[in-house]
Amino acid sequence: MKLAMRNMRTALGLEWYKLRRKRLFGMVLLLMLAEIAWGCTASGMSFSRHPEHAGWEPLLAMFASMNGLFMPIAAAVCVSRICDMEHKGNTWKLLLTLNAGRGALYAAKYVTASIIMTAAVLLQALAIAAFGAVNGLEQPVPLLLLLRFFAGTVLANMAVTAVQQWISLAVPNQAFALALGMIGGFFGIVADLMPRGVRAMLIWSSYTGFSPVTQTFAGETAQFAVRDMGSLLPAMAGVAAAGAVIYLAGCFHVSRREG
Amino acid sequence: MNRIIATHNLSKRYGNIDRVKRLHLSVQEGEIYGFLGPNGAGKTTTLKMILGLVKPTEGKVFVFGKELEANRRRILSQIGSLIESPSFYGHLTGLENMRVIQKLRDLPDQNIAEALRIVRLDKHKDKKVEQYSLGMKQRLGIAMALASFPRLLILDEPTNGLDPAGIGEIRELIRSLPQRYEMTVLLSSHLLSEIEQIATSVGIIHDGSMLYQGRMEELFNHHRPAIAFKTTNNRLARELLAQHGLCPALEGDRLVLNNVSDEQVAEANRILVAARMDVLRIEEQTRNLESIFLEMTGRESGLP
Repeated sequence: MKLAMRNMRTALGLEWYKLRRKRLFGMVLLLMLAEIAWGCTASGMSFSRHPEHAGWEPLLAMFASMNGLFMPIAAAVCVSRICDMEHKGNTWKLLLTLNAGRGALYAAKYVTASIIMTAAVLLQALAIAAFGAVNGLEQPVPLLLLLRFFAGTVLANMAVTAVQQWISLAVPNQAFALALGMIGGFFGIVADLMPRGVRAMLIWSSYTGFSPVTQTFAGETAQFAVRDMGSLLPAMAGVAAAGAVIYLAGCFHVSRREG
Repeated sequence: MNRIIATHNLSKRYGNIDRVKRLHLSVQEGEIYGFLGPNGAGKTTTLKMILGLVKPTEGKVFVFGKELEANRRRILSQIGSLIESPSFYGHLTGLENMRVIQKLRDLPDQNIAEALRIVRLDKHKDKKVEQYSLGMKQRLGIAMALASFPRLLILDEPTNGLDPAGIGEIRELIRSLPQRYEMTVLLSSHLLSEIEQIATSVGIIHDGSMLYQGRMEELFNHHRPAIAFKTTNNRLARELLAQHGLCPALEGDRLVLNNVSDEQVAEANRILVAARMDVLRIEEQTRNLESIFLEMTGRESGLP
């Protein structure tokens, strides 16, 4: 156990060391800034036109919806950059001959990608809070809603990251992984238009599915309501379990491959 | 002398193709073992099985007297390797690539500096590896394998991409390793002259099977030099020698006797002189590793 922890620490430290000059943080940051700018502009315009609808709920619903498009792509880019360096330099084989555990290597990459993606969600949550405060929304910053938004997005990201990592490590050509990210983005944005059964099978639909705010239309008017936390828990548990299964299957598949 | 590597019945099958067949490879401590074979003979697959990168279909690998499967971690920590092409992170510098090895193996700084100095990359250590030439990348691969100054060094085609001067340097380096660092070296190469110059033992593999394994001197002893006769009438001389049980081959203007003893050479000469034939020349055609290798892998005959 002690040895496994030490291996994991080494593999994790190594992963961050190897990311030097990859400009990964810059790429994810740029993508997030683009989404934040888009979300804030759209919300600002909406609030100006309909001041009576200005509030935290529409803001959170807007970002949850946009995350369906942006986050799968950001996850694909992030994971692809982390995994591609092993394909390019033929280094997976080297790491294995250096006694690095296959499971630890796989886990280190997953944890690294998850940390970066979580930082992106945190940045987004802070931007939402800042935007609301600056635009003078009447209610104080709804910390609980923001926390639920943060947790739901992080959980969805973790499941999507597991899928992306499997593909990125199994298929050397990263065009496949990036294409999957884009397809995921498409599903993420249109998932709400699909029947519930289909939606449940698409993990990319979780970004809106886990949103603490639900959006319904009464005629041409959008109405926002806070979801009951309890109603989301089964779906969240399902996605967490699916993510874990995908992670383990990917780890098993990649680890069994011969060098 | 201790056996550093021993494989028993080592086999690897991909689909219906036997890539390695019941291989018994044995490397003794302190030797430089040259592993030879044509392309696709199964050399790299064998080396990968020794490193645990490929799982054998059958058979076992023992390294340092211990079974690989059960002692993988302990065994690998004492092996340095360069398999197929060198592995590296192109976006990192040479030194940063070495630091990756350092972190994984928990090595002191002086090992890194020493390994880079040995392969003459110390002046280029701060350059990104993607800007290195092929030869520099190969030398970095060797430095990475050497970094822990392991008990066993496994090098697969280490001189690939090097210029003649670089090949000479690496050859001298490999030759010095057993004495300087008490290393055992297992080296595969398609450059037979390289192996001939540095290996103390040799294993010749063809189509997945080991054709010969043993000391280099023994290999040459088993393949005595050919003797060429030049006479005034080679056709008649050939018939005469054949009548006495010697079967020379007519090659150009020479009659060539393979695998004959000194006594047989003297006898052949006596037969020709007694038949009043003029023997113009008797020459020894020295066998090199290449000719032995080609004979073994081409005809698979005359094996010890």
